[in-house]
Amino acid sequence: MLLGYIQEVVKEQAIAEQYLIELFNELKATDIKDMMATGVNTFLRLQQIARKKLSSFISTVEDCADQDEITAKKTINGNKFIDMMGHDQQLVFCGVHYHGKTIVKLAAELNKPEDTIRQLLRESFNIIRNNRNDTAVHQ
Amino acid sequence: MIQQYINSGILEAYVTGSASEQEVKELLYMKANYPEVNIALQELEKDMELIAQQMAITPPERTWDRISDTIDELILRQTSDPDQFTERGDGNGQNFTNPGSGPQYIEVEAESNHMKVHKTWKWVFIAVFVLSKIFLAFAIYFYLENRQAQQQLKEIKTELQRLRR
Repeated sequence: MLLGYIQEVVKEQAIAEQYLIELFNELKATDIKDMMATGVNTFLRLQQIARKKLSSFISTVEDCADQDEITAKKTINGNKFIDMMGHDQQLVFCGVHYHGKTIVKLAAELNKPEDTIRQLLRESFNIIRNNRNDTAVHQ
Repeated sequence: MIQQYINSGILEAYVTGSASEQEVKELLYMKANYPEVNIALQELEKDMELIAQQMAITPPERTWDRISDTIDELILRQTSDPDQFTERGDGNGQNFTNPGSGPQYIEVEAESNHMKVHKTWKWVFIAVFVLSKIFLAFAIYFYLENRQAQQQLKEIKTELQRLRR
């Protein structure tokens, strides 16, 4: 799953693999302890670490807010849930999930109040949840 | 009030790592004190996993080899270059306990009962195993040959004694 996420950000399998390898090799004992703690979702913790690691790469790739990019489906592709989202929801979800942007930053970029951004993000999750049962887990 | 908090979108911001520090602090407090918040968070985590599963790619077999190779390399580097474990504060990489006696490792008692060996040893072990089987087969063969020869010798001696009489 993690490789899929990284590849979605970097768009190239060889680079994604390299990032995955580095990510595991750079894990510290404290990171492992944290992610194995009770009640912690290990995958999400790894994904957060990956997002942090990818932040330098993310700044060099196309922005989600690029209208042409969204239209051409180059930024986010092959994900049924994301395809179901509206334009604004895609911008927010993609900005947060793949580009590691904060709510504050997105609000400033899209010139919308922070509450609106949070609501758009919430709506994106509602779309995922409402379509959970309609979707096969693995592609 | 709790439902309003859950519906505010802060939880979604938290699981995607886009919440501010203040929001994270507030959420951790709410999570610890209100089970509804915790349940809502777990649901969101499931949603995040679902998104990831949609895009899941099975890593090629070589990926894990490359990860373990790098780890092996790091272990070897630490073994051959223990300078990093020596005190640097007062200069010249002096020893913790015996200044001037060269670099020293930090003593760490291993908790695991298992031992790691380099992958190439696998082939060495296989070769040793096969060779030991070959030697065993030879040993059994020569033992039987020898026993047969001894028996024949004994028979010849008996025959000779009988002829002398």
